[in-house]
Amino acid sequence: MECTARLTPSANMPKNHGGILWPPPDVEGRMDVAGISTTIGQLIDTLAVVGRPAQALLLAASVAVALVAAMPPLRKWLGWAVASLAALLIAGEGVLAWFHWRLHDAAAVVSPETGQVTGHVAVPLWVESEKLYIWALIVAVMGLVMRRHREELAPGVAFIAAALTAGAVLWGRPFTEPLPQFLGQYGGYLQAMSTGLNQGSFAAYQGMEAQRQFYYNTWYMWVHPPMLFVSYGAFAVSFVATVHMVRTKFSAYETTAYRWARLGYLPLTAGMLLGFPWAILAWSGESWWWSGKVNMSIMMWLLYTAYLHARLYLRRRGMWRWVAALAVLSFVVLVLTYLATYIVPGAHSYA
Amino acid sequence: MNQDARETPLRRTWDYSLTVATVALFGSLGFQSFAGTLYAWWAQRTVPGWEQSQYAGFVAVMNALAAPQVVLLVVVMGLCVPKRLFSRNALIAVSAGMLLAGVAVGAGTGDLATGLAAYLLLAGLIQVAVVVLTIAGARGPSYLTEGRLTKTGSGLLHLGFVVFAFVVVALQRSTWMLPVFWAAAALTIAGTVLSFYADRFAVRRAVPIEPAEETSAE
Repeated sequence: MECTARLTPSANMPKNHGGILWPPPDVEGRMDVAGISTTIGQLIDTLAVVGRPAQALLLAASVAVALVAAMPPLRKWLGWAVASLAALLIAGEGVLAWFHWRLHDAAAVVSPETGQVTGHVAVPLWVESEKLYIWALIVAVMGLVMRRHREELAPGVAFIAAALTAGAVLWGRPFTEPLPQFLGQYGGYLQAMSTGLNQGSFAAYQGMEAQRQFYYNTWYMWVHPPMLFVSYGAFAVSFVATVHMVRTKFSAYETTAYRWARLGYLPLTAGMLLGFPWAILAWSGESWWWSGKVNMSIMMWLLYTAYLHARLYLRRRGMWRWVAALAVLSFVVLVLTYLATYIVPGAHSYA
Repeated sequence: MNQDARETPLRRTWDYSLTVATVALFGSLGFQSFAGTLYAWWAQRTVPGWEQSQYAGFVAVMNALAAPQVVLLVVVMGLCVPKRLFSRNALIAVSAGMLLAGVAVGAGTGDLATGLAAYLLLAGLIQVAVVVLTIAGARGPSYLTEGRLTKTGSGLLHLGFVVFAFVVVALQRSTWMLPVFWAAAALTIAGTVLSFYADRFAVRRAVPIEPAEETSAE
């Protein structure tokens, strides 16, 4: 985003009175682009000041958790290590929530024609650079609260939480490079608005307003992704239990894997169902059905459904192998589904 | 696995075959989705302007490949319904009747979607009867699971899928789409919760133990 213009906020910066900017932004009906740009720039800088040490701490904690999980003599510290990682992740999430809240206050969308504020963009806490972070947080919390076969499964779950945290810090960089797509788009909108009343500012406004209404601010974006991340977290624990069952051939782990899988399947199904009417509305006219992410999500749901169906016949001779294979395959596809967002083009994609 | 003691061998084989068919179709559609995604990823990188020039063709091929599988899945889903109520000859007759009705409506209207909609409507009606009988505690419906709440959950869940399939097949351009879709979503989610967590909702009644009769020493 172009936030390089470090201007002090204008003393005449318009205030929002019941959706109407007053005093009017200027004679051409524009907004105080410099003021908004400065505010957002300062927010990003503040986030980075807090975030740099936080990212270093998170990375160190993830390495420590991975080491403790990998080395049996250190396992007695595993509970504390995972608790520390979860606490750090929760604290970081609090900082990100503060950033989003302030960003919402600043990121107004103003119609170039009327000068009216049509709304503020409320960017959810689980998009773009923050997706992996929220997944790591959920797995870490699940690692803390799990009870059944805790001792045996905790190292595996802790290892996944550590890997996700490291990925979130090294790849997502939510504190030092926050929301690159949104800030890029909003920066483009501000830039277009600064040029006055013309075709470009109208097009930029329409694009931003559509994104605000049908993507960022829609109730669906505040419900669907968290449901999916809860399911991803539960499936991660289920995967660890399945691997343990295959290694030990002890059927009690299969029951644990099933319990976590059913916990994951419920929000997965609900989240995907909720996506259907939203997709019809928001992607009207687009061939979204076969886009990469939707494709992979459907495949993941189909595989988990197949796993739950196959499990009904678990006591048939040799069936446990098929059930375990389906469970492992489903989780592999889950990981691919997550990656598809960044790799495969189409609706839903950051590729 | 807890098998219903009243299950007949035919019903058991039928159950297993339908489960295998469902899993195979899910797997097949899943494989197609994966292959399609891989192809889209590859084409995007190697064919200049692929999204603008060839994406529509890709969608058409994917639809053509998926259509027979989805039709089969709908048929299998419909066949899963009468097995709850009928056994032996009645099961074969009802299943064949549903299929014939669907084929007849499809052939009569010249529209496969209408035939599937009629077939799903019949399946939905039978499933409603199954759910009502299950809730009422009737001995008729047969399930792979035990417990009235779990069975009710399974019944509602499958009713939700049948209604959702009906929405996709018949109501996509109708004003009824959203309300019927929400009904399907509610049925599916409530059914899933009940079939997974029925034991948490179950009310256990304590049966008083009759005191042992005192035996007289006389």
